[in-house]
Amino acid sequence: MKQDKQGIWIGEKDLTQDPEFIKAASQEFAGENLLETMGSKPEAVNLESTRRDFLKYLGFGLGAATLAASCEIPVKRAIPYVIKPDEIVPGIANYYATSYVKGGDFCSVLVKTREGRPIKVEGNSLSTITKGGTSARAQAMVLDLYDLNRLRKPTINGEDVSWSELDSAVKAKLNASSSIRILTNTILSPSAKMALEEFKTKFPSAKVVTYDPVSSSALLDANEQSFGQRVIPNYKFEEADVVVSFNADFLGTWISPVEYASGYAKKRKIQDTNNPTMSRHIQVEGHMSLSGSNADNRILVKPSEQGVAILALYNAVTGSGGKVAGLNPKAQAALTKVAAELKRAQGKSIVISASNNVAEQTLVNAINQSLGNIGNTVSFENASLQRQGDDKAFAELLREMKSGSVDTLIVNQANPAYDAASKGQFADALAKVSNTIALSYDHNETSSLCNYVAPVNHILESWGDVEAKRGIINSVQPTISPIFDTRQAEASILVWSESPNYNAASEQPYMEYVQANWKKTAFAAQSKYLGFNSFRDNLLADGVTTVADTQAGEVSFIGNASAAVNGITKPSGSEMEIVLFETVNIGNGQFASNPWLMEMPNPITRCSWGNYLAVPVNFDGVRKMVGLNGLKDGDLATLTVNGKEYTVPVIQQFGQMPGTVGLALGYGRTVAGKCGTGVGVDINDAVGLSEDYATYYATDVSVSDKIGKEDHFSCVQYHHTMGVTAEDKDTGETINADEAALVAFNYGIVKQGYQGALTDRSIIYNSHVDDLKENLSELHHKREHAQHLNSEQIYAGHDDLYARGHHWGMHVDLNACIGCGACTVACMAENNVPVVGKKEVTRHHEMTWLRIDRYFYGDLENPNAVYQPMMCQHCDNAPCENVCPVNATNHSSEGLNQMAYNRCVGTRYCANNCPYKVRRFNWLDYTTADIFPANQPSLNGEEVPFGADNLTRMVLNPDVTVRSRGVIEKCSFCVQRIQEGKLTAKKESRRLVDSDVKTACQTSCPTGAITFGDFNNKDGALNKKLESPLNYIVLEEVNVRSSVNYTMKVHNRDESLDA
Amino acid sequence: MRNILKIKFLLAFILLTMQFNGFSQGSAEEGKTLFKNYCASCHAKNMRSDATGPALADVEVRWADYEREDLYSWIRNSQALIASGHPRANEVYNENNKAIMTAFPNLTDDNIESILAYINVAANPVAATGGAGPSAGVVVEEKSSNTIYYILAAALGFLALILTRIISNLRVIATKSDDPDAIVERKSIVETLTSKGVITFVLFALVVIGGYKTVNTAVNLGRQQGYAPEQPIKFSHETHAGINQIDCQYCHDGARRSKHSVIPAANTCMNCHSAIKVGSTYGTAELSKIYASIGFNPSSGTYINNYSEMPEDSIKEIFTDWIADNYVSENDLTEINREGEKVVKEQWENIKSSLTNDVKDKIYGPIPWVRIHNLPDHVYFNHAQHVSIGKVDCQQCHGTVEEMEVLEQYSPLSMGWCINCHRQTEVKFMDNEYYQAYEQYHDELKSGDRDRVTVEDIGGLECQKCHY
Repeated sequence: MKQDKQGIWIGEKDLTQDPEFIKAASQEFAGENLLETMGSKPEAVNLESTRRDFLKYLGFGLGAATLAASCEIPVKRAIPYVIKPDEIVPGIANYYATSYVKGGDFCSVLVKTREGRPIKVEGNSLSTITKGGTSARAQAMVLDLYDLNRLRKPTINGEDVSWSELDSAVKAKLNASSSIRILTNTILSPSAKMALEEFKTKFPSAKVVTYDPVSSSALLDANEQSFGQRVIPNYKFEEADVVVSFNADFLGTWISPVEYASGYAKKRKIQDTNNPTMSRHIQVEGHMSLSGSNADNRILVKPSEQGVAILALYNAVTGSGGKVAGLNPKAQAALTKVAAELKRAQGKSIVISASNNVAEQTLVNAINQSLGNIGNTVSFENASLQRQGDDKAFAELLREMKSGSVDTLIVNQANPAYDAASKGQFADALAKVSNTIALSYDHNETSSLCNYVAPVNHILESWGDVEAKRGIINSVQPTISPIFDTRQAEASILVWSESPNYNAASEQPYMEYVQANWKKTAFAAQSKYLGFNSFRDNLLADGVTTVADTQAGEVSFIGNASAAVNGITKPSGSEMEIVLFETVNIGNGQFASNPWLMEMPNPITRCSWGNYLAVPVNFDGVRKMVGLNGLKDGDLATLTVNGKEYTVPVIQQFGQMPGTVGLALGYGRTVAGKCGTGVGVDINDAVGLSEDYATYYATDVSVSDKIGKEDHFSCVQYHHTMGVTAEDKDTGETINADEAALVAFNYGIVKQGYQGALTDRSIIYNSHVDDLKENLSELHHKREHAQHLNSEQIYAGHDDLYARGHHWGMHVDLNACIGCGACTVACMAENNVPVVGKKEVTRHHEMTWLRIDRYFYGDLENPNAVYQPMMCQHCDNAPCENVCPVNATNHSSEGLNQMAYNRCVGTRYCANNCPYKVRRFNWLDYTTADIFPANQPSLNGEEVPFGADNLTRMVLNPDVTVRSRGVIEKCSFCVQRIQEGKLTAKKESRRLVDSDVKTACQTSCPTGAITFGDFNNKDGALNKKLESPLNYIVLEEVNVRSSVNYTMKVHNRDESLDA
Repeated sequence: MRNILKIKFLLAFILLTMQFNGFSQGSAEEGKTLFKNYCASCHAKNMRSDATGPALADVEVRWADYEREDLYSWIRNSQALIASGHPRANEVYNENNKAIMTAFPNLTDDNIESILAYINVAANPVAATGGAGPSAGVVVEEKSSNTIYYILAAALGFLALILTRIISNLRVIATKSDDPDAIVERKSIVETLTSKGVITFVLFALVVIGGYKTVNTAVNLGRQQGYAPEQPIKFSHETHAGINQIDCQYCHDGARRSKHSVIPAANTCMNCHSAIKVGSTYGTAELSKIYASIGFNPSSGTYINNYSEMPEDSIKEIFTDWIADNYVSENDLTEINREGEKVVKEQWENIKSSLTNDVKDKIYGPIPWVRIHNLPDHVYFNHAQHVSIGKVDCQQCHGTVEEMEVLEQYSPLSMGWCINCHRQTEVKFMDNEYYQAYEQYHDELKSGDRDRVTVEDIGGLECQKCHY
């Protein structure tokens, strides 16, 4: 009904033709007017200037110019090494294999260092887990290293002390303690666990309690009951034809998203268009998650219905029992059909759930068992250890602390005062513990409550090891010596335990400890290397080694499914429920102090700098999409959860189950540095506890009407839309052509088209996998039509130029792109892209060179999404080039659209003329290069703009110019990497090959969606990709001859599930 | 009569200058070159301190008891003279731990005389001030060429004035001849100069010249061709690259593989200077700075443990002892004298001030060289591309560094300068397999349609070859 196969839209304003949006979209550089910008009342700003003023400015100008001209050039120093390390050549990057670990988050990475500074993270393609992919979080870790919020010295009660003072004080307290607890997030390091064992031997009263910021405790407990192993199974998405996920955001945040995304994408790419096959992904959820947005079908259920939904599927799969009470009939019917499909894919499907209810997880296990998945797609060989939290143990600890029976608590690199599911009781309980010791990386809610604070190294300053999956050992090695007076947490534990195996006097004591441990365990368990030194060297060089998984064995289901049926959550029947979820970028607050991640838009809502209450939008049956309570994007509303009121900004969310709202966890932190403090709303108190298990939803919820407007609505959804204005045929008003077309299209007024139907423009093409042939011929017909202008060229004869050497191009597979945003953060890191802050984002001034456009298509209330990474298309008929009055942007013989910053005078004509809206203007002085503080932005009231202090500046890529105020910048196809790759080939006197040049976005991608290469390299990967008939060029009909090809988005939606 | 006098004067002047030219340190000048080529790799340039070979000052005095011929043959082939049992030869041989001096059979007696003359000049600093002569001469030359222009301009101006006068006279004559009664108003010079036309012209000229000057000055802002700052260590490229012919890339080892040519670390200096501890020109004054930077005790020839933690007084003790000992042995004293104490104090203070600055208060640590070649931040330049792939000689951009006592910036390092070279330089197209990708050019080269491929042809003038 309210659905069309081909219409696409970006959001509610877009669909409903919101006049404000249309006005804004028609302006290239939207924002407040001058007076508002100056932050003053109109009368306070006298904009008239007199002759006297003119003379004054003239005099000042002349004087300044004379002064500048007569100034002597400052003496610059060239500081060499005293003793140059052999492996460092200034100007040449060194790469070290290490791991990104934050709690249970893991990614095997290569770290690029320049002159000893880590500046960029690349995926480690030797890793059998992440296979060279990365996540936005892993990409952003280099910035954490240079965080101003880092702890720099050990402290006792806030006073700086030396390590020896801290150690003797802590040791005295530990020796006097009768009940010691160590509270930690998941620990993946076998050596760290060994250190904790030594601690427990020294202090027999010590117990280690593990929790995760977002708990998977029930999944672990259920697996223990069902299979005898308290681990996460090894999910093989690359072998799954049907994936059913109950609220588990396995592509974004759940357990091991990089690994899962890489496997998942293998089944989503179309290999053979004549015989297309792809998996089917069904997501059962109430709030649209990243995984949900990529799913073929979403079955909408309220969060409290998850249990009965699982039961319904269980019943349908096993044939036991009938309908389930409390589940909405639509979901009930759909799940029955899903069961039939699952049964057809025996042994080749995966059913997962993020539920934190043991009974529900047991049912999921039973479903997988009955489908024959256990041992196939859900294997216990190389099972994952990436979540180890135990909610019951944590609850027990909380009770102990409250009763005062714990006298010493060591918090190991965790922030329970903010992120533990404790209904805000952790801080009170902590007050009853007499000795509180924090092993903490930065100032956070917990460290600020603890008496003894031992600052820990960043993982890039640390030694260690990681066993994220059993039998797969990854190394952790330092890439820089500790910047501040910090010490590894493990080292502190060992020092306090007075371990005989830890020689504190040696130069690298913990390295020796770890390597001695490797010798005993991993080295002993393998047979590839005869000597330990070669084993160690190879492990450090590769970053990964594999040993036998001794605990694998045969696994059989021994759980009690029939008992579990009674243990599931009962639907609340409440009118309004709230889904609480972690986001790709902020997690449950662990990443809130990282400006790159803060500025990265949430893939779904595309909001940055804050969490927005996702409210459902409903089709009013006539012409409008109406948000809950008439709320619109950027409105403020009062959210009441369990009686507690929160004032939250609102975003209208397509695909949000009616009767539910959603709000991200991880925001509103109170101690998170300049970047994270006070950004967004802290909703952690709303996390429920059911039999000590955290439940990430609440049922006692109400949402008020609009109570105001958010000052800075920092959602980039409507920025940089590829639209043009046109006249509305009915009203004669000037409106955004895209929206007019869309709206009209969806209601059957105008015939056919895509976004921008008036010009029949091609931005997104999509097709059902079964209709692919038909849609492809239509696509080709359209492309032929679009190409009829191709003989017309601005630069006739340039083709000949491109044919001579290289001609760079890109291919983006939209079927592989899941919208995770790793590429956007990678691009910021590689290209020194500034972070602009909430206010500037609101004014459309975000500087990202690579944005991921999210379009919806299909059902209006429950749509599918398609993600389109959009960067400079390096058009060979580039419309930006010929409008530049100073020729600052022009074309290279290699097909690159070049941008010479020092030539740019900032007319911004190019940005106006760019049909893809990918050019960015430096409105402000992000680097403090000029002398006027008024030109500098402020993220959160800091003294120097973010990134302009000397610590943060260490992250800059020295091969890329830091742009000054007043110039345009944009994606350069990572020209610094192109040049470096060419030089490498020249040095080795050989032809350039694909692996010489890979762009930052390409290497960061966990699914391999981006391919960069040389059109002239006939055997190259790019040309292979270009053979696919799915390819098209965005806005091909405007004949700008873009160098970036996209593929048609193919989905596998089961229409019958919608009925 | 007057003319003859003039010619006489001119002749006298020319003769005088010729004489001066003929007289000017001919043999010492030649000796300097010979010394550089043959002797300087072993003998100190200041002639006063020992290097690999002994100090050469007063060598003639020491050989005065013998035939001049003996000294010649000693220098030409010392081993032969020693074998012949010459007493002085054996004495010198034994004094220098029987180090064998290289034979120079092709040196003529005149050559040797020149070298000896130079040794005398160089050993006596007063005589050596002549060395400053050539550079002063250059300045004079520049000045004189400018003066010529000024004189020329003045002459032309004068000529123009006379011509205007003549034209105006002629016009008056012409008018009068047509009509003798006509009253011709002649403008006075002042009137001519203040006429509208002249003022307009002058203003126009001023604006043009001023604009030209302004633009040129503005364009040259930040450029520093010829920049030759004083360095914390008086490091001489002449001594190292010229006389001792050390390859540039021995120290600048980044040039072949990195964007930076790399200022060598102190440990690179130590490869040679752990043995050569007294400099040929400055003795202990400059070399001690390297030792003070890295923590090497030149007296004992060992690296100092925990040097970074060492208090300044202890460092001072090590180096003042070393300088004093050298002073004593160099001047054949038994104990340091007042003069020597002054030298020690001066040298130590110089070491300290050279190695410390407002951001570095410790003597230990890197040597704060003054950077000479400063490219703006928005320029990407890669040495490896030019040195390893383009096979460009270092001298092409950096000048004859091997002749620079004090290094200076030879090239303007302006964009025009870069671009010009890229236009003219031929790519080593056939030598590198990488360029096989440029098939069309290869075809054209084969067919003879093209005789060469310049850097410009493969995109060397495009913005993003250097700016990104």
